[in-house]
Amino acid sequence: MDWQPFYVTLKLAVATTGLLIVLAAPLAYFLAYARFPGKSMIEALVNLPLALPPTVIGFYLVVVMGPKGAAGRVWEALTGGSLLFTFLGIVIASTLYSLPFAVQPLKAAFQRIDRRLMESAYILGLSRKATFLRVIIPNSVSGIAAAAILVFLHCMGAFGVLLMVGGSLPGETKVASIAIYEAVEAMKYREAGLMSLCFIPISYAFLLLVNRLNRGA
Amino acid sequence: MVRRSGCGWVLLLVSVLWLIPVSVSAQERLNAAVAANFIQAFTEISQAFERKTGVKVEATFASTGSLYGQIANGAPYDLFLSADEDRPARLNREGAGERPFVYARGRCVLWSARKDFCRARDWRTALQDEDVKRVAIANPETAPYGTAARTALVKTGLWEALKQKWVFAQNIAQAFQYASTSATAAGFCAYSSVMSDEGKKGCFYRLEEAPTIVQSACILKRTPHRASVEAFAAFLSSPEAEAIKAKYGYQ
Repeated sequence: MDWQPFYVTLKLAVATTGLLIVLAAPLAYFLAYARFPGKSMIEALVNLPLALPPTVIGFYLVVVMGPKGAAGRVWEALTGGSLLFTFLGIVIASTLYSLPFAVQPLKAAFQRIDRRLMESAYILGLSRKATFLRVIIPNSVSGIAAAAILVFLHCMGAFGVLLMVGGSLPGETKVASIAIYEAVEAMKYREAGLMSLCFIPISYAFLLLVNRLNRGA
Repeated sequence: MVRRSGCGWVLLLVSVLWLIPVSVSAQERLNAAVAANFIQAFTEISQAFERKTGVKVEATFASTGSLYGQIANGAPYDLFLSADEDRPARLNREGAGERPFVYARGRCVLWSARKDFCRARDWRTALQDEDVKRVAIANPETAPYGTAARTALVKTGLWEALKQKWVFAQNIAQAFQYASTSATAAGFCAYSSVMSDEGKKGCFYRLEEAPTIVQSACILKRTPHRASVEAFAAFLSSPEAEAIKAKYGYQ
């Protein structure tokens, strides 16, 4: 059996989780504390990937990240390479697709923090940024872990978006879920069955690991 | 109190909507599983058939491989129009399908949304151009048009030489989508997609090195509409249907 698709899946899940936690934390902080008219509209926008079929996200990403799309053109001007059908391309796709799974638990965690703690920090002269990094973040570790678990598992199971934007390049964008789908289509049922069977203990092991990390935190 | 009755109204509305049948007509319907390359031709043929007989033929379009998988697992189709000869023959051997018959012969082309792509001497030279970074091909393992394209590429020694350019689409329709949105510089497509409105905007090379794709169909044994499905199968080779197929480049 070919292990490469599993490796790509894990790599994708790790990269997306890392990227998304860093990107989602400031956004969640902003949504937790900022007050301004139209905030609910921004919040709905962040949650939109939850309500959209993966095919809709995938369809637009192919257009936007392609050589004629806005993102694709900017990327090509900067690096000379293409964004679509690369590992980075699927990382961007799954980052967008998993955004609400990171923002929601982070926002909830930030809102749970005792306001007096933050007020003390301000009184003691910490800036907003320093308060965020040194008071809020250390006090929301469990929320961050929860967000990371959700994003990681969501990425392991991603299929529809990647089917639309991946291009199934071995070692690059061919993740395990796509490899299984293709094996079924090619009538390689034995291989598909084996890969599917492997998915269960792998996912289960990661859930256990993540649970342990969560308890330690 | 007011709130509760509001809730009640919603419940009532939902249950009434649930009870309304989707279609109230007693018109007979057939369900066909159709390989993605045959979309346009099939739509026209089934409309012509409906005008003639009043029987509506609904189609599910997907790659031959996934349709075969659905049928082998008992999907309730009446007819299977494959993009190859192998899978209908397999269904026949396995006892799910009747004897297969050939309904179309298709050709594989190299299509691009950019007209200047076709300025090269031939398709092999066009592919070797350095500006051509990505080229879409339907998965050769599952899509017969992808298999035909790979055969032509292997024959000309380009399959290995230009390996880093291939992007794999799930079926021939996705290969065309990648090429037409310019996500890839070009794509190996069915000649039939070149005949579509979108296809006419671009340009294409014929692939003489690729074998003709012999597309076979079979009636599925589980069909409860035997008479109509046999009539439709016969209609597929009527002069009227042949004219539509010729229009979309099938032989």
